[in-house]
Amino acid sequence: MRELLIEPFQAGYMRRAIVEIVVLGVLGGVIGVHVLLRRLSFLTEVVQHTVFPGIAIAFAFGQSLLVGALTTGLASVVLLTMLGRTRRIDADSAMAVLFAVFLAVGVVVVSRRRGFQSDLTALLFGRILAVDERQLIDTFVVAGLCLVVLAVLHKELVLRAFDQGGAEALGYPVNRLDLVLDAVIALAVVAGIRAMGTVLVVALVITPAATARLLCRRVGTSMAVAAVLGAVGGWLGLVISYDASVHHGWRLAPGATLVMVLTIGFVLVAAGSWFVRHRRVRALVVAA
Amino acid sequence: MAEVEAALVLDGVTAAYDRDPVLRGVTGTVPVGGSLALIGPNGAGKSTLIRAILGLVPIVAGSVEVLGTTPAHARALVAYVPQADQLDREFPVSVLQVVLMGRYRMVGWLRRPNAAHRRAAMDALAEVGLADRADERFGVLSGGQRQRVLLARAVAQEARLLLLDEPFNGVDATTTDALLAVLARLRADGVAVVMSTHDLSVAHLACDEACLLNGEQFAFAAIAEALTSERLKATYGSSALLLDDGATLLAR
Repeated sequence: MRELLIEPFQAGYMRRAIVEIVVLGVLGGVIGVHVLLRRLSFLTEVVQHTVFPGIAIAFAFGQSLLVGALTTGLASVVLLTMLGRTRRIDADSAMAVLFAVFLAVGVVVVSRRRGFQSDLTALLFGRILAVDERQLIDTFVVAGLCLVVLAVLHKELVLRAFDQGGAEALGYPVNRLDLVLDAVIALAVVAGIRAMGTVLVVALVITPAATARLLCRRVGTSMAVAAVLGAVGGWLGLVISYDASVHHGWRLAPGATLVMVLTIGFVLVAAGSWFVRHRRVRALVVAA
Repeated sequence: MAEVEAALVLDGVTAAYDRDPVLRGVTGTVPVGGSLALIGPNGAGKSTLIRAILGLVPIVAGSVEVLGTTPAHARALVAYVPQADQLDREFPVSVLQVVLMGRYRMVGWLRRPNAAHRRAAMDALAEVGLADRADERFGVLSGGQRQRVLLARAVAQEARLLLLDEPFNGVDATTTDALLAVLARLRADGVAVVMSTHDLSVAHLACDEACLLNGEQFAFAAIAEALTSERLKATYGSSALLLDDGATLLAR
């Protein structure tokens, strides 16, 4: 057991990968609680798609892919949040139009360049094992920024999620609060994309928070539990994929393994809570 | 804050979302400690008027004066009580946390509620008879209990004007009694109350004055004077049914 959990981290790339995934797990867990409270899962999907042109453009001009992704990801979220305010366009249509435009721009840029193929694979599925020290620092900065903003605005964001009318009546700038939360979600998703890829990053945000929701009755405890689940799930996923690949010759992609671990956790907790509730109901019926 | 005579002065209020006015020419006054029932069919503009008093809807003509100032300036002294059914029952928040939300503006940005805020919230909960449920999740309470928690939140806010959206809608008798008792106590302390309601008997119990609304104002007067069969019929049109004994049934 000790070998399984510790040995993989003798290698520098594994150490960096584990730090990266633990930080992202904590960040994803905490943000996921807000995403579920506000039912904003679709927002993570928007960012998944709209980072593509930013990454493509940054690649074409030899700039930082993270900055490129952040720029278009944030831009799309701000646009969508503002479009959501008008009564003339419904959110679904606004989202569909944004998706198409951002993807089209990305495709135009990519089709004019060669040699983007391998980077596209990385974009889709992530490259957790190739994280270098600069990227680690980027992740620390983004995660720190997001967590500080969420801590500072915690009670206001929870009030707004619970009771929008009440928050407005109290005079809170609900539009600006929404914009800040949406931007934080976009930042976190972008930070996660490099490690997890656009396809799998959503699991890091939604799954631990969904599991925590089944276990907790308070926002604060949900966040703590989701953060731990995200971090532990990330660790386990990485270790299992390493062990399988190095000792058993099965090649398990770390990102996908991590998603499987998180999902198994969710299914176990869901089954457990169903069982407990079911037994309680049966006890009540018998008592009656 | 200087003493003001009127909690609310509406003068020809016309409110509009986009361009179409939803509400035209509402005029009347609610004194300090007074109470007004907003009565009218669904879509009559009751909620719009409440939002106008909160300063959340553009006023295209006329004026709203709250506690001697503009709605935006008076906001800290105005409490809004939504319908309990409009809030997510699955939301992971305790009863006490909901009541504490009423104190958030006093707590301020960047701070957490302190012991004094908690005490105020517990006192408010005790007043609505739910002190023993403080640590439970808001969503597990019954509809009537949740409505009482939301009133406790307004009490904890220490407002001078209370705006309630259909507070008696579908609540049990215990809750009705508790709400009426708290509203009476608040009014005795000089808090003015404005509530929208479909329930004429409760309007009689809780309010001195009534405003009949359906896009425009059909009456704004002492409750006995406002709630006559003719006026209700004029307000509700064909959805008011007058019974032989003079009682009036209103469709939603």
